[in-house]
Amino acid sequence: MSRLEELKTRIKEALPGLECVIGWQKGYDLLHHTPLFMRSEADVDKLEWSPLNVHNPAVYLPPFRGKKVGVVVKGCDSRSVVELLQEKLVNRDEIVIFGLPCDGVVDLSKVKAKLATAGVTAGQVEAVSHNDKTIVVTAGGKAVSMQMTDVAADKCLRCQFPNAVLADAYVGDPIAPSAPSPAADADLTALDAMSVPERMAFWRYHMDRCIRCYACRNACPMCVCRDHCIAQSREPHWLSQDDTVTEKLMFQVVHAMHLAGRCTECGECQRACPMDIPVLALKKHLNRTIHDLFNYQAGVDPAAIPPLLQFKVEEDNIKERGW
Amino acid sequence: MPVLTGKELRIVGFLCNWCSYGGADTAGVGRFNQPTDLRIIRVPCSGRIDPLFIVKTLLNGADGVLVSGCHPRDCHYAEGNFYARRRLEVLKRFLPILGIDPGRFDYTWVSASEGQRWQKVVTVFTEQIHALGPAPRHATVAPELLAKVAGVLSQGGNRVAA
Amino acid sequence: MAAVKYIASEKLPEWLKALASERRVLVPVEEGGGVVFRPFDPARQPVFGSDATAPPKAAVFPACQELFRYENGKDPEDAGKPTLNIIPTIEATPTVVFGAKPCGARGFLIFDRVYQGKKFPDPYYTAARDATVFITMACATVENTCFCNWVGSGPADTAGSDVLLTPIAGGYLVEAVSDKGAPFLDSPLLTDGAAKTAEAEAVRTKARESLAPAPDIADAPAALLAAFDDMDFWRDQSDKCISCGACTYLCPTCYCFTITDETAGNAGRRMRSWDACMHFQFTLEASGHNPRPTKAHRLRNRVGHKFSYYPTLHEGLIACCGCGRCVKSCPVSVDIREIVQNAVARAKA
Repeated sequence: MSRLEELKTRIKEALPGLECVIGWQKGYDLLHHTPLFMRSEADVDKLEWSPLNVHNPAVYLPPFRGKKVGVVVKGCDSRSVVELLQEKLVNRDEIVIFGLPCDGVVDLSKVKAKLATAGVTAGQVEAVSHNDKTIVVTAGGKAVSMQMTDVAADKCLRCQFPNAVLADAYVGDPIAPSAPSPAADADLTALDAMSVPERMAFWRYHMDRCIRCYACRNACPMCVCRDHCIAQSREPHWLSQDDTVTEKLMFQVVHAMHLAGRCTECGECQRACPMDIPVLALKKHLNRTIHDLFNYQAGVDPAAIPPLLQFKVEEDNIKERGW
Repeated sequence: MPVLTGKELRIVGFLCNWCSYGGADTAGVGRFNQPTDLRIIRVPCSGRIDPLFIVKTLLNGADGVLVSGCHPRDCHYAEGNFYARRRLEVLKRFLPILGIDPGRFDYTWVSASEGQRWQKVVTVFTEQIHALGPAPRHATVAPELLAKVAGVLSQGGNRVAA
Repeated sequence: MAAVKYIASEKLPEWLKALASERRVLVPVEEGGGVVFRPFDPARQPVFGSDATAPPKAAVFPACQELFRYENGKDPEDAGKPTLNIIPTIEATPTVVFGAKPCGARGFLIFDRVYQGKKFPDPYYTAARDATVFITMACATVENTCFCNWVGSGPADTAGSDVLLTPIAGGYLVEAVSDKGAPFLDSPLLTDGAAKTAEAEAVRTKARESLAPAPDIADAPAALLAAFDDMDFWRDQSDKCISCGACTYLCPTCYCFTITDETAGNAGRRMRSWDACMHFQFTLEASGHNPRPTKAHRLRNRVGHKFSYYPTLHEGLIACCGCGRCVKSCPVSVDIREIVQNAVARAKA
């Protein structure tokens, strides 16, 4: 029995006691999967496991509080679940976690870029085939072959958690993480190399096309305040509705700072952005600072306390400046 | 038009009520000479300060922001400044990625009796801001700079080559 | 039909430059991985091959628009009497939106019935609409998210356009659609195009025929109403939705807005900005009650509005142009086509 078939069997066994189990199914075309909410055995038969499972199902968990649900997770998704547990936004006895070892997912914007250089679009896809090294997308009559490493999501190129960090039912043998590839941090490397005025220009350039749809916020599993977000409230009044770079960048800073010490870099914010704005860079930079100052990584230990919710009387890495 | 227009930059200070505001008061009572650019907003404790206050202040027109609280271990509310120290250090390291010079924000600890220290802090910080000059704004970035950063990240592609 | 002209691809930048000398010209350009409408800049190559990520909606209906400024003061003659000075700001820069797809221009047909109704015509919208000319580009190729043929439109639909370009070998056929568009064919850069109409028609036919056939959704308005109280049905349709506003803000036909005031001291501005019915706050009332408290309620409203309530009020016009942006840009691939078909199938069962 394949791993996927075994997983389906385990889910069907658990289903009677659960409101639903969240996973992925085929989407509207061969390049898209979409989240699946399994409530019956027929639903479970639709479950898919492939590099197209890009969505983070942990985002659906907080509203189910009070009910028992199951969730199928990749390694990165499980970190979001752990972070939610840490903050008591979900109860451990109300979730059943199903895990499989993950070989990584694709970044569709990279696939689209490869197709564009061949003169075709993803919207003309006719066939998709892949093995663990290459993926071949046939679109508009052309077969375009791509290396998996070229179109994998950045987070997969430096993934240290290919297996669920917490699981009730784990199917398959855990795989060892590979050494992180420097290409995975191309965004931070580029920003580090820029001068301060260049970085201001960078955010001005990218935030100009932001449409303030809040897809970045709503795709984030940790942003549970979405219905009451201070970015849209009048009391307190942080932001106006003005369509300016200053307001839009301020929202990104609010989002990033509210995630400091909580963000697991699942990358959903950037993937969800319909305008392809590199919003994840801000959170990655903050996480690097949190790691340097407090030697802390979010979403690994459910019993840990996030660093900004605690303190040390003598800090290891914060020294007073002279005046 | 106010006398100091064109000579002053806009510097905002967030001072905790107990130590730093008292220290600034001591400096005033002692008639210590200080630059007048810095305008004070009083908060109960440095722990009350949301790092977003500083970002909003800088993005919306300030040229510099200074935060001052009680010395660690001497917080009037016992622990507030321990949390503040962590948050503000994280913020100080975050600002450069937004394109804001890190020299435009600083945080320090001044107690109620340290009038002279307050005078020094304000003078040094104001000079620091004057050396940096008025803060550039995202809305007025030079077009050449925009063109330069446009191609930095090859992100994705939604288009067909025309 | 009026005169038919032709313009060679190499002459296009010149034409754009000539148009830009007299008015603001918005063209689709690549920016950071997406395609957006920006003022024409000779240094930036326009991209016409595929649909822009964001529609040209903002040209006529900006994301945030000042309605008026206000100043509170005192009557100089009578200090006890407060005054309120209101200064409206109705702006209308003459604009050409060049190179949008027909679906992008068609969206304004849905806007027009709402914003230019007899009872409450909107002066801001009317000023911008009158000042904007749409020179649209028919589609030579289609994508699997295109479903313009479901809603009575097509890859060469002229509804909402003033001039229609069709890509052919070496250049574009140029046809006037409206009286507003006819003068644009007088440009000396355009040559006679009568000999090329057959070629253009072949391109348009090929595009039309490559669309997947449209299912029969004539029963959609009634089917959606019939499903109104079936919250299990709407739960299933909306399970994966994350309630952001991407579909709304990228939709050429979505027209809802919110009004906010920004006051500083004695003066301020009243602004109108885009709002999305997918957000919780959209129907949140001052009492705290919300008639659409869950995403199931809100998705029901979105699909119901576009395919049922609006057509019923407006002689069958569907409040959707079939561009497919909502499907393509949805972070979780909510597919409005699927939802409409599910409702129709549910009504038949």
